[in-house]
Amino acid sequence: MEQIIKLEFPNLWLLLPEMAVLLTGFTLFTLDLLYKRLNHALAISVSIVGYLIALLLLLFNWNLQGETFYGLYHRDSFSNLMQAFMIALTMLLLGFSYSYYKHRKSLYGEFYYILNFALAGGMFLVSSYNLIVLYVALEAVSISFYILTALLRSDFNSKEGAFKYLMLGGLSIALASYGAGFMYLYSGSLDLRYILTHIGENKYFLVLGLVLFLIGFAIKIGAVPFHFWLPDAYQGAPTPITAYMASVGKLAFFAPVVRLMPYVQEHFAHAWVITVSVISALTMLYGNLTALVQKDVKRLLAYSSIAHSGYIMAGIAVAEVIGLKAVLYFLLAYSLMGFGSFMVLALLERAPEWENKLEQFSGMRFYLPWLAFSFMVMLLALLGVPPTVGFVGKALVFMSLSFGSLWWLAIVMIVATGISTGYYLRITALMFMKDSNRGRELSVSNLEKFLIVLLVVSVVLLGAVPIILWNFVSFSAENLFMR
Amino acid sequence: MEGFPLISLSMILPLLGSLVMVFLREEFSKWVALLFSGLVFVLSLLSLPFFDFSNAHKVQFEEKYPLISELNLSLHLGFDGLSYIMYILTTLVSLVAIVWSIRDHQINHRLKEYYVWFLLTETFLVGVFASLDLMVFYVFYELTLVPMFFVIGIWGYKLRMYSAYKFFIYIFVSSLFLLLGIVSLAVQHYKQFGKFSFNYFDLLNNSYSLEFEVFMFVLFLIAFAVKTPIVPFHTWLPDAHGEAPTAGSVVLAAVLLKMGTYALLRFNIGLFPEASVFLMPIMVLWGIFTIVFASWFTISQSNVKRFVAYSSVSHMGFVVAGMFLLNSEGLRASITEMFAHGLTSSALFMMAGFIYNRLHSFNMQALRGSIKFMPLFAVLVAITGFSSMGLPGGSSFWGKFLTVVGAREYTLLLAFLVVVGAFFSAVYVLYLLKTLYLDTKEESRLIHFTDLRGFKLLAFLLVVLPMLMVGFLPFLFFAFYDPYINALLNYLLLKVGG
Repeated sequence: MEQIIKLEFPNLWLLLPEMAVLLTGFTLFTLDLLYKRLNHALAISVSIVGYLIALLLLLFNWNLQGETFYGLYHRDSFSNLMQAFMIALTMLLLGFSYSYYKHRKSLYGEFYYILNFALAGGMFLVSSYNLIVLYVALEAVSISFYILTALLRSDFNSKEGAFKYLMLGGLSIALASYGAGFMYLYSGSLDLRYILTHIGENKYFLVLGLVLFLIGFAIKIGAVPFHFWLPDAYQGAPTPITAYMASVGKLAFFAPVVRLMPYVQEHFAHAWVITVSVISALTMLYGNLTALVQKDVKRLLAYSSIAHSGYIMAGIAVAEVIGLKAVLYFLLAYSLMGFGSFMVLALLERAPEWENKLEQFSGMRFYLPWLAFSFMVMLLALLGVPPTVGFVGKALVFMSLSFGSLWWLAIVMIVATGISTGYYLRITALMFMKDSNRGRELSVSNLEKFLIVLLVVSVVLLGAVPIILWNFVSFSAENLFMR
Repeated sequence: MEGFPLISLSMILPLLGSLVMVFLREEFSKWVALLFSGLVFVLSLLSLPFFDFSNAHKVQFEEKYPLISELNLSLHLGFDGLSYIMYILTTLVSLVAIVWSIRDHQINHRLKEYYVWFLLTETFLVGVFASLDLMVFYVFYELTLVPMFFVIGIWGYKLRMYSAYKFFIYIFVSSLFLLLGIVSLAVQHYKQFGKFSFNYFDLLNNSYSLEFEVFMFVLFLIAFAVKTPIVPFHTWLPDAHGEAPTAGSVVLAAVLLKMGTYALLRFNIGLFPEASVFLMPIMVLWGIFTIVFASWFTISQSNVKRFVAYSSVSHMGFVVAGMFLLNSEGLRASITEMFAHGLTSSALFMMAGFIYNRLHSFNMQALRGSIKFMPLFAVLVAITGFSSMGLPGGSSFWGKFLTVVGAREYTLLLAFLVVVGAFFSAVYVLYLLKTLYLDTKEESRLIHFTDLRGFKLLAFLLVVLPMLMVGFLPFLFFAFYDPYINALLNYLLLKVGG
């Protein structure tokens, strides 16, 4: 296949949402430079307006899809869906961030534009097949995350987590780019679609390259045995940022792997299934077993996030359309559940003497009934109790495992979910069944209440009436598989 | 009644009730719950004349709301004879549980939540029995866990949190196997017919190899064997039933266990006829094994609530053994026993709760001779006990007698084994009655007990009267499910061929 590049002016219309986001970022950057003491209300309003414009541009041009910049950039319904979720979650985050950082006395102007660059990087990451673009986007997201993790400057854990993240993140990017080099050597192209359908001479280069490339991403998504940075980074990071990494980060880092799924059938159908399913089984078992013994709820949820990466990878192991649908639904589902559960912690951390310890949740129902109820819904969703969005995700993953006849992995997943029952249920029981020895004061603004309720409602609604999201997911998955 | 949304109305009314309760003051919640559960019960009775008994094997009161058309997933509700009688049992027992709770001393805090959970349970249970779509069935099946988890964990006795965990974990993990089974059936439908489907009637058309069918049978069985429960998967039950508040135990024993047996009958036998016939001997012997062992466990209990709980397990043994005899007597016995056990176990748990209110003890030693001076209560308990034992005229008689008859159709030895099981299950009831009525040395501490009255009497009568009806007029109940049984047997004959 000869790639002919037609030298015409790239179609910038396809990039409108990204441009809106980046423009917002530069505006925020300039504002931060201009003012010695940045007015946070102004920064938040500018961000919200910018993201709203980006979201609207995305929604109104939903059908404007295609490639631009000579195949470097690829907008399809998959990237639209992911980007819409990313922008929406970023806007939700901004609703929580101010009071959190104010409480921790860590209000810095750079938060806004670094967050923005993370979002922009993520948006590029979900919409390209090109190795160079993926590399740059990966760096953009990762570097923003390192900084955001370290942004509690007076907190030791925050810096420790960021440093670990930086070391392993750097390693992952080095591995990924090394792998990209091998793949280029094999095919003479940087386009993943071309590389994976190319019949070349030295297949070992392709295998080596792909394995290194995937290990890079496995580190990013926290797959066992490449997960060591994740609990520390998640625990050390400011909690809203943890929520952001667990939602937008997961969406972004999984996207390139998901894009590979339609192309692995030809060369590695068998190797792909074995490798991914073994890693998936290890990840879900390890994540859940380790979460079971945690005393710190934030760390517990970080391990639960690892376990969820395992569930999602179980869907990826089945490189079929149904597997892709399951993965997409579960990814979007987890982005909501993970975001919501960490956000509840972010609110609770404002209570005096709150350390996220398990026993501190005792009797929460008596002094913060609405928050206890919201947290319960999130935990039951993470556990996969119907009718929540987590249940739909799990059912779809089971369905794809059954489709691929991966019975052993399905049984492992049942065992892993069984283990997870232990800790999700313990928190729920503590909140509702123990009597509290004392109440806690916690002032929560109406906006934050509204946002939490919004998350709870969406978690339940997308589970009870899955058709809302299903059509988008189903269409995107089939679109990806049409090649 | 054509087009009247009976089922969705019976599901929406309790939801509406709980919604109303949320906005009212705490002291009104019991009356609101009573009103709405009563309404649903009346509704279920009023629907009786509109049910076509001659066509009881066909789905009636059907409603269908598509959820995901691509996966052929829809909220498909309807009753045939089997689910209809379970529906009536559900509405009856939910009403009984709420009537009992009104004067239960154990229920003295967080009333709003308590009644909300009970009404939600009623909605979910109706959903379980009415679902004709397997995924929707699964959703309701799982949902019944959540309210019961809280009911046991918040209003239970001493070991409540431990029991609540155990209950949730056992049922939740086992039902994940069911989920895997259900989605696998949908996938098989896709592989055979080119589209996914969760609809029960679509899935009946699937055909499998025997190995695969047995595998699917086992996946379903794991869930339902824990739920039913069959020994040795019963260990969650004595804890859950023993520690739950009285009304919780009533709902658990009377209806939640029936979900397991109902699903065994409808899904395991209905969807996997060849595997059922293949595994028939194992299942029947397993049922008899359950009867005998659970009876022995029962006799050795010192806590009266755990005693009643274990007796439930032994009754479930009859249900399972009778069902897998796969002939009309066995199936009749099984379904009659499901209904009858729903009534007797409710009454026995209420008895335990009532005595606890008087004596503050569940210990078998402490309650010796305790009901001597409460004549009305004593009579009702006696009727319940003899019904549960299987005395002719008692409700469980038909379950046990017909199981023996059904077993006799195979061999005399099998019938003899069932009789042995029935013997042991009679022994423990006699032991219980002896303890309650005869042994006592210190009568003075018992003499001032007040008898059953008011709401508690009403709750008792609500289950004892139907109990007598089952005992003396069994054909009224056979009319519900005889057409269903015939249709099922014809279907089995068609699929397996003798």
